[in-house]
Amino acid sequence: MIELQWLVPLLPLLSAVLVHTLSGSLGKRVAQLSVAFGTLTVLVAAIGLFGYFGHTGGAVWQGGFLPGGAESGGFSGWGSLLHDPLSHIMSLVVAGISLIVHVYSIRYMSEEPGYARFFVLLDLMTASILLMVSAGDLVTLLIAWHLVGVFLYFLLGHNTESKPAQRYAFWTFITYRIGDLPLVLAAVILYQAYGVIDFPTLFARIAENPNATTVFGMPVTTTTALLVAFSAFAKSAQFPLHTWLPYTMEGPTPVSALMHAGIVNAGGFIINRFAPVFVHADGVLHLLFVVGLITALIGSVLMLTQNDIKKSLGYSTMGQMGFMVMECGLGAFSLAIFHLIAHGLFKGTMFLSAGNVIGEARRSDGVPHNPLYTFLVERKPASARLPWLMIGLVTLVVPLAILILAHWFVAADFFQKQGAIVLLFFGWITGVQVLFATHRLDSSNPIRLMVMILLSFALIVVGYTVIGHAFENFLYPDEAFRNAIYHAAGIDTVTFDGLVLLLALIVVGGWLASYLKSRNRSLWSARFTGLQLALYSLISREFYVADVYDRLALSLIALSKRLNVMLRWY
Amino acid sequence: MNGFLLLLAGVFLPLFPFSMIFSAVFAKLTHPVARVLLLLLWPQAGVLLLAHTGLPLNAEFFVGWAVATFLLYALRLLSVRDLFQWSGMLMISATSLTWLLASTTTERLLLQQFVFWLTVAPVFLVLLATAFQTRFGAAYAGLHTGLARRLPKLSALLVFSVFAGMALPIFPAFFSLLGLMVQSPVQWGVAVLLGWLLWTWAGTRLLNGFVFGPPTPITAEDLCRGKALAIGLSLIAIVVLNLIWTGVKP
Repeated sequence: MIELQWLVPLLPLLSAVLVHTLSGSLGKRVAQLSVAFGTLTVLVAAIGLFGYFGHTGGAVWQGGFLPGGAESGGFSGWGSLLHDPLSHIMSLVVAGISLIVHVYSIRYMSEEPGYARFFVLLDLMTASILLMVSAGDLVTLLIAWHLVGVFLYFLLGHNTESKPAQRYAFWTFITYRIGDLPLVLAAVILYQAYGVIDFPTLFARIAENPNATTVFGMPVTTTTALLVAFSAFAKSAQFPLHTWLPYTMEGPTPVSALMHAGIVNAGGFIINRFAPVFVHADGVLHLLFVVGLITALIGSVLMLTQNDIKKSLGYSTMGQMGFMVMECGLGAFSLAIFHLIAHGLFKGTMFLSAGNVIGEARRSDGVPHNPLYTFLVERKPASARLPWLMIGLVTLVVPLAILILAHWFVAADFFQKQGAIVLLFFGWITGVQVLFATHRLDSSNPIRLMVMILLSFALIVVGYTVIGHAFENFLYPDEAFRNAIYHAAGIDTVTFDGLVLLLALIVVGGWLASYLKSRNRSLWSARFTGLQLALYSLISREFYVADVYDRLALSLIALSKRLNVMLRWY
Repeated sequence: MNGFLLLLAGVFLPLFPFSMIFSAVFAKLTHPVARVLLLLLWPQAGVLLLAHTGLPLNAEFFVGWAVATFLLYALRLLSVRDLFQWSGMLMISATSLTWLLASTTTERLLLQQFVFWLTVAPVFLVLLATAFQTRFGAAYAGLHTGLARRLPKLSALLVFSVFAGMALPIFPAFFSLLGLMVQSPVQWGVAVLLGWLLWTWAGTRLLNGFVFGPPTPITAEDLCRGKALAIGLSLIAIVVLNLIWTGVKP
């Protein structure tokens, strides 16, 4: 059954060829052909995943069908697939999201020129992502990794005559190339150090000899983990390589959906694929955490300050990608995959329903005159609500209790891991925030409202925890390996406790500031107003990152021109 | 003697400023067949000279010089708008890397293959540049933009050829560069990656000047089906041949 998995990347490829060949005779009906192949791909991917549940013996490596030969100095055979939980689950997710985008595109793209071309590109993109998630060796992974960027360039620039579309497609392509090339270097270093390209053997050799060194005596694992991380940063829009993401809304909506739901998650995937390297890479996981944290903060802040809804969605995705990378930095690799799947489904739905929302808004103002609207938009205070202090205590204590109990229920040793503590802390803070904000909703029975809110929270936490742990056991069945990742992500206890304390103080400070703000008072004196304004203008210019890149690009082009003129174009 | 031969090889496997000799000869020739032959044979002569000095090349200075030439021409490509000139400079930038490979191998055939795979894209670009010149009087990026829908066959072939020049997978240059990096010390690999990125940037800028962007009014006809098929199938054949024959070996 598992051998059938070759069909998963091949079916969309075949579909692309058929759609291109038959577009002349079938006209717009070729889209249905593409959808039929998409459905078949989902079925095969689902069969593969369910087949894997019954499979014993770990990951299966299949292929090496293309030539080359270690004896002659080249790589040994490439063109292989790896069947492991990660590849199976990602294949099903990618095939599923792609199918939804295909179905949506049938009508959405019908008035656009290049209808058949769009489906060809969509199929090729799907094939590339599916090959990427199931690649069994370094070269196949590199090829798929590069091709994702190439096809995204064409999809974003589908309207070949739109200047903005081409401009932003170009930005995306260049950033993706910046992300492609470190992965090439990582692959080269790994091959030079361990002499193989297939993942199972490579990872086994890394485990046997994790202390191999490369140029200038640098450890291979740390160097390659850094390069893979850099690659992931570019693909998953981590600060400061994020500028392409909020500006890529010029492409067709289905492409935005596919990009935000699937392609941008490539960073999380690649970190998971190279988990056996990261587990031996001192400090790189901490870098992931810091970069993810900065990205999450900046993405969220920029999202809140945008007046363009599409850019706002782009920054929202950036923030989510920051969280995903941060989770990897904490050692919660499987949680990052869980996160990217959940976010993919959620964000894909948002993009695909955006058109309906706009259409609906044109017919009616859509203002729902209910308590939620008056609370969230009109910001009218509730007529009756529970005492502030009581709510403060309940919202501080109850989420913490629910979180601890839920995690203790699924894994008693959970609290031994620092990464888990940070996640717990994060869950607690966000839970408190949500609960405290929503208790002010206008309701005739505030106690009932509070109980309902707490029940909802408990349901989400328990569901999330149980699914999350089951997911972790499925993706990384080896408990020793799971613990090793958490261990690699850990820092010394004093620093850790200090950081948690610092974060707690910042959060409490934030709460205090918002409380004072609600009473028209400020935590800061008037002399900080200028600083606040400067910060706001910095944020409104998106920290000038895109401007810096523009300036740098123009300088390089000017230098190139000067050189050419000086050398008389010879 | 060896030093002289190496300098002479630097004319054919172009090292700056000797590379300007190639550029001048390339610009003087006007017939496409002559240009194609020059692209194919000029660097092969350099390989023969280099092999004559003894492989592997034991001249770190020349390797550094070659990598500097590679980067210089990759940077210069950014502002080149003429497709003929672009092909010539790409060829100089790409084949200068042969020096790096020569410092790691004893096989002349390997060097000859390496040079051949890297000159594939410039050859196709010259053929397409001739087609543009016939139609518009010049093969100049920005002269007529937005050709994708008006001249779809020519545009598609240009896109594939430029992508081959950018060394994207699964074109031969991708495997050549990958193989080169595997055999070279990592510090040189970083320089190769930098130049590779500049090729991508330059190639995309070039495409934006021909294929994409707001359309300008034109009366030119697209490539005829036969010619388009011939060029397209040749490109596919070379890709397949590269995959079958060498896999990912340089």
